[in-house]
Amino acid sequence: MIDQARAELLKIRTTRTTIGIVLGMVALILLFSLLSGLLTKAPDLTSTEDQRGLLSVGSLAGVFSALAGIMLVTSEYRHGTIRPTFLVTPRRSRVVYAKLAAGLLAGIVFGVVGEGLGFAIGYACLAGRNIDYVLNGGQTALLVLGTLAGVALWGALGVGIGMAVRNQVGAIIGLLAWGFVAENLLFAFVPSVGRFAPTHASDALIGLTTKHLLPAAAGGAVLLAWTIAFAIAATALAARRDVA
Amino acid sequence: MEPTVVAESLTKRFGSLVAVDDLSFALAPGTITGFLGPNGAGKTTTLRMLLGLAKPSGGSALVFGRPYAALDDSALRVGAVLEATDFHPGRSGRDHLRTLSRAAGLPDSRADEVLRLVELDGAAHRRVKGYSLGMRQRLGLAAALLGDPELLILDEPANGLDPEGVRWLRDFLRAFAAGKKTVLISSHVLAEVAQTVDQVLIINRGKLVVETSLEQLTARVSGSVRVRTPERSKLQDALMRERIETTAVNEQGLLVHGVGTERVGDVAFAAGVPIHELVAEGSSLEDIFLELTAEPQT
Repeated sequence: MIDQARAELLKIRTTRTTIGIVLGMVALILLFSLLSGLLTKAPDLTSTEDQRGLLSVGSLAGVFSALAGIMLVTSEYRHGTIRPTFLVTPRRSRVVYAKLAAGLLAGIVFGVVGEGLGFAIGYACLAGRNIDYVLNGGQTALLVLGTLAGVALWGALGVGIGMAVRNQVGAIIGLLAWGFVAENLLFAFVPSVGRFAPTHASDALIGLTTKHLLPAAAGGAVLLAWTIAFAIAATALAARRDVA
Repeated sequence: MEPTVVAESLTKRFGSLVAVDDLSFALAPGTITGFLGPNGAGKTTTLRMLLGLAKPSGGSALVFGRPYAALDDSALRVGAVLEATDFHPGRSGRDHLRTLSRAAGLPDSRADEVLRLVELDGAAHRRVKGYSLGMRQRLGLAAALLGDPELLILDEPANGLDPEGVRWLRDFLRAFAAGKKTVLISSHVLAEVAQTVDQVLIINRGKLVVETSLEQLTARVSGSVRVRTPERSKLQDALMRERIETTAVNEQGLLVHGVGTERVGDVAFAAGVPIHELVAEGSSLEDIFLELTAEPQT
């Protein structure tokens, strides 16, 4: 298992795909943090909720860590490397566990970079504009650590999604369509259900207090449950389906 | 000695299509077997079942006495290449091998060793996207050799290789099998493997047509090609360079064994030898193969 996980981490590091995803993440977080940190009127940046919004831009990293997780699986099916992978490790559950672990670890790195960047820029904007920082220690810790945990889980969730869908384009479009469109509609129209969906569970986990969101701990538990559910499905599907 | 590979009533159905139909065979250790049949005969599907990538609909496929997926050290005992294109185009050849050697618990130095073995060390750090098909074939072979396996399974390894590459592969497989190792190579062209293999398994429409030694198959070749040419010895030399057997009949006449008229004509053309007469007498090895795998008459 350790050998397989090391192999998966090496796969992540040896193509330019990962660099591309990281650069995309950095660019987007840089852009959004600077725009909202510099262009939002000062009175709209004074409340706890305002500042939490500004400093949580880094949680966008979750999308990118999910993409990295998806790529870790679907690029193997796309380029056929899944065949040698399964030939070397014919117990496919080991491959899936290794990819989940690698997705989680990559997710932690994405989280550190993304949240570090977003928080630093947001904080610098507040300081530079002489706006008092109003989040207390507990709120700050929840924001930072919750983002880190959420982004890491999305890495593993991406692996699960990739294994379930296998088709690269399908998995990526599915992720974006669900995360940015379907889930928002669900939350808007049926919040009692929508708040249990994964991106809204992530929002809850970092301490956002939008109406209808779950409490932070429950949000974290729900996101973890989604990850485990996808991991179980991924393991079962990988073992059952023939490889072309 | 216990056979290395045993297929017993192996069957694979895709819906109503029976891709592999009640196929049984065994491979003895230390043999090179050609697994032959026209495209679509079920060769790749059979190999996928042997290697645990596809589940049989019926029957069983055992490697070293167990299903492939239940082998604890599969990477150290079995090496296989199913597709010559199974690489991430943006990853270097060496990195591709390192990802596999790590999963097998082998050191990175093993990747460098197999790269030297297949003579790809010069391109080790280049991305696979820039490799020729022949280089990809060799990289796939390198991956299969990582664990220094006792059994090598190659699906159409000669596809896309130039004559020099085919020769290289042949010599390589000969040397590999000389170490009491077992090889199974598939091909849809008998001539490609005829000089490499000890025995052949011929399948057609998922069914075993014949399982025999190459010698016995060659013995079924009754005829030869009769050639009349004013430059007999020059043609004989040219054919000899292609490892084709000949017998001189008279000053201008020559009998060529084991190949068809097309091959003799091609060799003569390439050598610039004028041909005055070219006649097939009896049947060639390729004729036998085509006959065995022909569509049944209705």
